[in-house]
Amino acid sequence: MKLLRVSMAGAAFGLMLVGSAPTAVAGIKGSNGCQATGTWRSTGVVVDAATADGVIAIPRADTVDWQGSVAAATGVYSGSVWIELPPPFGEVEVDSWAGNSLTTSNAGSHEYDLPSLVPSGVEITVAGEHVDQNGSCVGSVTVEVEGGAFDSPLTIASLAGTAVTGAGLAAMLRPMIRRVV
Amino acid sequence: MNIGRMLGVALLSMLFMLFVALDLVLFGVLPLNSVMVTVLPVIGLLAGGAIVASRRNRTTTG
Repeated sequence: MKLLRVSMAGAAFGLMLVGSAPTAVAGIKGSNGCQATGTWRSTGVVVDAATADGVIAIPRADTVDWQGSVAAATGVYSGSVWIELPPPFGEVEVDSWAGNSLTTSNAGSHEYDLPSLVPSGVEITVAGEHVDQNGSCVGSVTVEVEGGAFDSPLTIASLAGTAVTGAGLAAMLRPMIRRVV
Repeated sequence: MNIGRMLGVALLSMLFMLFVALDLVLFGVLPLNSVMVTVLPVIGLLAGGAIVASRRNRTTTG
């Protein structure tokens, strides 16, 4: 009976995890015909925001050649790129832009080197939005830093936290369970 | 009912489930923006309190 209860709780927990996967917005949605691509120099990976699907593995350090465009001259424009956090924590802005322009595209290179605290193998949703006089567009891609879970010291810290709080919890609950039995 | 013990277990249980959620994210089981990262500590808080309450009731009624 106890085994049945434990397996049912385990199954419910598993179902909860599977069902909790957020629905990613693949591609770009919007009214101003915007496009965005990025090419990672060391790996040659090309990500087109309009067609990107699944999880894209990126190196911990690299240079990205990026390019963005809209269908017509932007006029007054603004936009931003952010990382989505679990609700209700919202998002962390990575970059933003604003101005007034008659051009329809922009391009550049960005060198990055993520600190070791940024965990590897974690699915991170990076989303972006661009607004100009012709409309707006929004899109997202899911990326993960190449490497294993133990590349980040956060993993050891988290496992230690689990062990310490688990042991403390067991120590607090044990007398109560013994009293009943 | 010992409110202090109930609060202690509930808070420790919440912390435990917070670390479990963090482990699941760091090992790639859950994405960073999963709602479960928020839900699991709340479940821990409620379950911890409920366990103490139910055990207390059993010892007083049984």
